[in-house]
Amino acid sequence: MSELNYVGKSFKRKDGPDKVTGKAVYTQDVKLPNTLIGRILRSPHAHARIVRIDTSRARALPGVKAVITVDDTKGIKHGFVETPRYPPDQEVLARGKVVHVGEEIAAVAAIDQITAQQALALIDIEWEILPAVFDPEEAMKADAPEIHPSHPKAPGKHSNIGGSTETEWGDVEQGFAESDYVREDRFECQLRTHGYLEPHATLAHWESDKLNVWTSSMGVFVKRAKLAKVLDLPYSSVRIHKAYVGGTFGGKIDLYSHEYCASRLSMITGRPVQITASREEIFSAFRHAQPLILEIKTGVKKDGTIVAQRIRAINNAGAFRGSGVVVIFLAWGFTMIPYRIPNLKYEGFSVYTNHTVRAPQRGHGAPKVRFAIESQMDMIAEALGIDPIAIRMRNAREPGEQLPNGDNTHRGGLAACVALAAEKSDFLAKRGRNREQSPKSTIRRGIGIGASAYMGGTLIYPNGSGVIVKMNDDGSVIVLTGAIDIGQGSETVISQIVAEELAIGMGDIKIIAADTDVTPQDIGAWISGNTYVTGNAARQAAGNAREKLLQVAAEKMDVPVEQLLCRDKVVYHRLNAEVKMTYREVIAASVASHRGDTIIGEGFWRTMRDEPTHPSLATTKGRWTENYAFSAQVAEVEVDIETGEAKLVKALTVHDCGFPINPQLVKGQIDGQISMALGHAFMEEVLTKNGYTLNPNWLDYRMPTIHNMAISEDADVITEQYRVGQPYRTKEVGEGLISGILAAMGNAVYDATGVRLHSTPFSAEKILAGLRAVEYAAKKSRQDEAAQA
Amino acid sequence: MEMSASDAARAGIAAGTKSRTRLISLCVNGEWHEVAVKPRNMLVEVIRDTIGLTGTKASCESGTCGACTVLVEGRPVLGCITLAVECDGKQVQTVEGLAEGEKLSAIQEAFLDQGAVQCGFCTPGMLMSATALLRRNPKPTREDINKALEGNLCRCTGYNAIVDAVLQVSGQGGVEPVME
Repeated sequence: MSELNYVGKSFKRKDGPDKVTGKAVYTQDVKLPNTLIGRILRSPHAHARIVRIDTSRARALPGVKAVITVDDTKGIKHGFVETPRYPPDQEVLARGKVVHVGEEIAAVAAIDQITAQQALALIDIEWEILPAVFDPEEAMKADAPEIHPSHPKAPGKHSNIGGSTETEWGDVEQGFAESDYVREDRFECQLRTHGYLEPHATLAHWESDKLNVWTSSMGVFVKRAKLAKVLDLPYSSVRIHKAYVGGTFGGKIDLYSHEYCASRLSMITGRPVQITASREEIFSAFRHAQPLILEIKTGVKKDGTIVAQRIRAINNAGAFRGSGVVVIFLAWGFTMIPYRIPNLKYEGFSVYTNHTVRAPQRGHGAPKVRFAIESQMDMIAEALGIDPIAIRMRNAREPGEQLPNGDNTHRGGLAACVALAAEKSDFLAKRGRNREQSPKSTIRRGIGIGASAYMGGTLIYPNGSGVIVKMNDDGSVIVLTGAIDIGQGSETVISQIVAEELAIGMGDIKIIAADTDVTPQDIGAWISGNTYVTGNAARQAAGNAREKLLQVAAEKMDVPVEQLLCRDKVVYHRLNAEVKMTYREVIAASVASHRGDTIIGEGFWRTMRDEPTHPSLATTKGRWTENYAFSAQVAEVEVDIETGEAKLVKALTVHDCGFPINPQLVKGQIDGQISMALGHAFMEEVLTKNGYTLNPNWLDYRMPTIHNMAISEDADVITEQYRVGQPYRTKEVGEGLISGILAAMGNAVYDATGVRLHSTPFSAEKILAGLRAVEYAAKKSRQDEAAQA
Repeated sequence: MEMSASDAARAGIAAGTKSRTRLISLCVNGEWHEVAVKPRNMLVEVIRDTIGLTGTKASCESGTCGACTVLVEGRPVLGCITLAVECDGKQVQTVEGLAEGEKLSAIQEAFLDQGAVQCGFCTPGMLMSATALLRRNPKPTREDINKALEGNLCRCTGYNAIVDAVLQVSGQGGVEPVME
């Protein structure tokens, strides 16, 4: 049976009708009677000792029902990473000192928002201001203020190191010696934020021995584990309920203090407590992405073949470890996937500073790494007199290549993506054309390419997903999945897979999702693995139900199972369509003759069953995933050389997502990433001074609006197949495609203007300054020539 | 414990006063509601918390993102910076009022056809702005669409599918609608 009826087709979203009619329930929409409103007192200082704190006046304010400080907690620490090397380093409320502006100090529950806000103003704190440090390279110096004096010291000569990653293979010095051309560059990226529309929000309700929580998240099982830990409750006493999620992009993974505070305040008051962060709070106190500094030295042969690469990455990690130690590990990974690098030395440092804590953001380091490497690759190509396509084709990984960490590219590869991107964009013909443009126009057009690769479904708690397919008497189905739909369309994709495997219509499938008490465990929507991991679990669960159906049907019809097939909720004899049983009849027969069994299928999946856990963050040892998605992206930009303003006009994404279960959802992921990447390239930056956010709103932090959209075209290099009853290897599509396009935009700005930018964003100021430098250099070389003549 | 005058001042409580409640009437999606509001209450709070229509979203609460867009007397307004008392006696339409019974409006259908919905948090505001546009201009140009939707931020879709949805309703194309 090769014909596919449900997967590979653009079905409309399952959650669509609820979302266009206002019926979809997000956390803030859950209303419980008698709910109190919680607010959080945040630090006004970047680094200060709390000499004394007095909450008595706040407690006395009429309408205030509870006030908590760290003394009301169990003092249990948590962290994004919790390993022996990187033990949890963060308490839910500040103890004795604060280390960043916006750090949570106390929380209040009151009868309404205004009373809660008034109570915060009545909390007295006596401060002793401590010296603070904000620049990671300053923080690494021996005489820098120490942010966590009590932490075990990381070995090495630097201060304030929250974690480091080191790895190497081959002999990098030998490699440089054997290279025909070597260059070193330094790249920097700005601080950016996720920009999810739905603010962080939590509703917690303690019912005698059960904590019920609704919270805007990217995975309910991670939230449960962390919340139960800091509250010192068994997992069975904490239930995270499903709510729709209004965007995350990495910013809602880890435990956030307001989630603890709402829970604890509910346990104290016995009433539901709701806390919603204001947009200003999100901008100035919550977690942003990771701004990386990358120093890259690369040696190549004359023909562009990479011989050796040395990379040093420094992450401004903020005041707690957060995901900083993960991003410096990943930065190595995003280095080694797309191209062959025979000799490599990598060191990465995640440095504590007095900034807000950092979170992953879509791509988790990949945009910054690829921007740096792909920019340098173009510079190398130019120096060698070869074109950007040729140098990439020469180094691009092919299918079946072994990666340095023991993973395999399997059927994926970069070369096919680069070749198709060059062809579809007519790259070589368009490149360099701006230099012939009419001098009357101030607009210069440029084209650039960038490549990337991304992993999917990596092992991080809870490592695997389960799905249950529960058949109803009439043959319709209830699917239980822990997957959370954050907009990516997981419920739709899972339904398509179940429909395909069970031969039933999409309308016969109802999903119960993302509820820790009801649904099986799920990896969550944060390591680019839902379609692969949860999808394969759904495939197995539906397949398991199908096998049971066929078993009963075979007995009743007295036909071997192999001679049966399923179509539209009916089991048929393959050779004689007159011999058939409807699913309703089969299920009734099962109940009648098999201990009352209804049909329930179960399925489980995880990446790399032979691999016990995730690789070492510090040494990179250990395998990563079975699924690498490769991509090549082309950007066409326009730069106004009078104002320095640049914009993305057209983007082409050639990607290998394996097998697209729903092409329209894939397209949605691509377009969203193009938009977010152009924000990164030209518009967005969280500006800070001494740890304070200077632009904590969307007027001053400019996110792309409808005016900034670019044409977004794409081509899917389909490398995998879907066959009913067999595992499939669908790959990543929701994160990796934000990276190559960023690099492509930088390279396109260069093509348009001759201005090579080593930092994002590519602001008008930087481009204008670059144009002046280019002009000056040209003038100087003309003068030199004249002088020589 | 009585609060001292200095504490009250710190907490921002005007001494000895309690802000007065006013009774206003709003006709929301064709139904009149008489609601008690404080002068400070914003329209979005009253719609969501008092009337209980939670389809309208509150996101930035400072008039910068458009998620709370509703129609007042047919015109799109930002519910987070519009005082509820200003709307006394007026007609308000929210996302819950777009469909007629089970039948979705053309723009709601088009959003589903074109894949213009992802996380869905900007969707209600986006739909209201688009509805107002199409009512006053059934055949908008791309420029008209950009102008009408420029105040509505979307972080998921990159906007292309949203423009396609508006074009579909106005009979000017959009990409091929997907299957059911």
